[in-house]
Amino acid sequence: MNTTIGYTAVLVGFVASLMGIGTIGYALRSAARVSSPVLSMPYMRIGRRYAWVTLAMAVLIFAIMERALITRDFTSAYVAQVGSSKTRPFFNFTSLWSSLEGSIILWTLILCGYVAVIARKFRNRITDPMFAWALLVLFVVTAFFFFLMTGPTNPFKTFDPPPGFDGPGPNPILQNHILVAFHPPMLYLGYVGFTVPFAFAFAALITGRVGEGWLLETRRWTLFAWGFLSLGILLGAWWSYEVLGWGGYWAWDPVENASFLPWLTGTAYLHSVMVQERRGMLRVWNLSLVCATFSLTILGTFLTRSGVVVSVHAFSNSTIGPILLTFFGVIVALTIGLVAWRGDALRAPGRIDSPLSREGAFLANNVFFAAFAFVVLLGTVFPLIIEALQDRRIFVGRPYFDRMTMPIGLVLLFLMAIAPVLPWRKASTELLSQRLFWPAWSAAGALVLSIVIGARGFAPVLAFGLGGFAAGAAARQIVLATRRQGWRGLVGRTNGGMVVHLGVVVIAVALAASSSYTHQQELILPQGQTATVGGHTVTFVSMSTVEEKDKTVTRAQIAIDGGKVYEPALSNFPGFGQPIGTPSVRTSWKDDVYLQIAAPPEADGEPIGLRVIVRPLIVWLWIGGIIMALGTLLAAFPGRRRIPTMPTSARVYEEVRDGDVAAAVV
Amino acid sequence: MNGPAADAAPVRRRRLAPLVAIPVAVVMLLLVILLATRDPAGERLAKSPLVGKQAPPVEGVTLKNEQFTLDRVRGEWVVVNFFGSWCTPCIQEHPELVTFQDAHRSARDATVVSVAFSDSPTNVRQFFEKRGGDWPVLSANTNSIAVGYGVIKVPETFLVSPSGVVVAKLIGGVTAGRLDALIDKYTAPAATTPVTTTR
Repeated sequence: MNTTIGYTAVLVGFVASLMGIGTIGYALRSAARVSSPVLSMPYMRIGRRYAWVTLAMAVLIFAIMERALITRDFTSAYVAQVGSSKTRPFFNFTSLWSSLEGSIILWTLILCGYVAVIARKFRNRITDPMFAWALLVLFVVTAFFFFLMTGPTNPFKTFDPPPGFDGPGPNPILQNHILVAFHPPMLYLGYVGFTVPFAFAFAALITGRVGEGWLLETRRWTLFAWGFLSLGILLGAWWSYEVLGWGGYWAWDPVENASFLPWLTGTAYLHSVMVQERRGMLRVWNLSLVCATFSLTILGTFLTRSGVVVSVHAFSNSTIGPILLTFFGVIVALTIGLVAWRGDALRAPGRIDSPLSREGAFLANNVFFAAFAFVVLLGTVFPLIIEALQDRRIFVGRPYFDRMTMPIGLVLLFLMAIAPVLPWRKASTELLSQRLFWPAWSAAGALVLSIVIGARGFAPVLAFGLGGFAAGAAARQIVLATRRQGWRGLVGRTNGGMVVHLGVVVIAVALAASSSYTHQQELILPQGQTATVGGHTVTFVSMSTVEEKDKTVTRAQIAIDGGKVYEPALSNFPGFGQPIGTPSVRTSWKDDVYLQIAAPPEADGEPIGLRVIVRPLIVWLWIGGIIMALGTLLAAFPGRRRIPTMPTSARVYEEVRDGDVAAAVV
Repeated sequence: MNGPAADAAPVRRRRLAPLVAIPVAVVMLLLVILLATRDPAGERLAKSPLVGKQAPPVEGVTLKNEQFTLDRVRGEWVVVNFFGSWCTPCIQEHPELVTFQDAHRSARDATVVSVAFSDSPTNVRQFFEKRGGDWPVLSANTNSIAVGYGVIKVPETFLVSPSGVVVAKLIGGVTAGRLDALIDKYTAPAATTPVTTTR
């Protein structure tokens, strides 16, 4: 019953997105045939409505799957795979996205949501070919995901449960903390959100209209997606650190890299787009960045879902790898082809006057972000390259990534300090020395302070100094803006962006400190005994075991610094081999004491195997994340100065006819 | 406001975009080819270091309270199947194992040995009562066996030749046909010599 309705909804959604493509495609062709600059209103109105049909189907699919999960309808193969009568209601709800088929449902739902919002927001401009192309691209992507659900990842396969069947429930990791309800949806809001700027970039490449009107829209959508992706990544780090007990917050695992890659190119775009708005330059580069960001989300999905790379994230191997790879290949081929075909015609004739200018700094920023993305991508696929060339199996781990990305990170910190004070076009040294006065003092202060506190080592101390520099530059901008405009000095792109910068600086300092000054020790501690790690004492007080409905929890009571007792735990879920460890962390402004059971006592009174990690400034990672989110929000509000004057984008050509490149009016 | 570079001098329009796009396209093509030709990590893991080596011990007391070691079935092909009564793919592959065992019962040239993974003897007993299968099943103290074979996730299945050499590791559900094909493949050239694998 559920599976029948669900699969019907999948088919209807697939057909609706195809109809959307067909209708808009027909409208575009008819208009092109008579060289009309606008499309037929009736057709576009119909085409637009398919967005609502696909959204309705996606909601229905989601609801049906939830219903099947909540009623434990084991005739659905997916429920038999991830559902269990023992799973608590909350985690039963979230188990929808605990496996491949369900996560495609979530992806499609979010995508259809975005498409519907776009179709509604631009309802007055639907006869514009540029918008039509964007909507067409969005429908193509939607059709692809509905297509996945029709066969390769059909979530509504049936199962014939034997009498008394009970499923295993989702992976224990996914029923241990409420974060499972936030981290994946946030990441998806980010990933999927990049489809919108991609669709507009693609439309701009096809129609040859790269003016600033559309760009402004695209920028805000990118900011939206980027904000959620940042938050999703940080929540993932927090989850890995506080809940899963993987010991760290970032492991350069392929799955983590897959989410980080589009973040890097997206960040680069958010910066370089400003050069285009102000100076009209870097148009093709910006379009390429948007396309690269979207392609990387698909590549990331491929990497994590195909099982090609080895990852700690135990995603099931599936058969959709080749399909995703084909999709990725088609997108890349189309965008590269379009850039090759259109690129020269779209290029702006402007030139960067001086490297010592805002646009020069943005260009450098882009070069380094691109290099960062390249380094991460190379490290992720390098084992595959080596295996293909030499038939050897290697593992690229933390040392490579740390060593390669740290210098890039430091340069980016430096640019963060310099860029905000640089004027457009050309800076004089006099102006610079005047504007960098306070940031430089802030840098010196941070440097001295860190050394006085006891920081040693070239890289971390340099990071602290540059962090102070960048924070000084951001704070200077915020202070100047608020002095001029009151609270309005906090909103808008530039000012909100500076708040984001402050958040990034906080994170950078926390990263430098926590990765440089960590004390980790594995202790074998008899009951009642005390050990010292990194200046903190830990005492093994006692053990306790509690039987709960869906798991058995063994807790150790550990006193830190002779004070409050912390309880790292091991949960045994019946039916799953390995116990799930839950660390216990004492957080303070200064450092974290991280406790984890490495080996439970074999019997009462036996010693416990305890892992103790003392890391400084961890809490500032999360605080920095909150500041970043806040800054993104502020940046999304329209600022005071720049009001879009053009309702639609400016045309590069007077008349856009096929191949008519001569009539360039710039 | 400065217009978008309206003051620019006459510009030379070079065909730059294709020059940049072509190398990028080549690199991307290579990347796609690379990714397309890699085996899934699961299959690469299936190239277990055990393959081609003497099988690690499988010892213990079966559900029927008999002592079992691999030596007792030397001379037969042995399908060492790690499973859990709680694991859906294991439930799905079980009928295939039953078919396989039935097909080889009369010839006595192959047998299945099931080793429970993170499971209780009671569950395992119920599992076999419900789903059939009368081959040796080890359910208690099986951790060391699983460690010896490097089992990570069930189902994992190892095919051991009559001479006691591991010839294949299979991850995920197996089918009777797949097992028979493997046995044929490694039996054909020389039935009695220890089998060495390609890799």
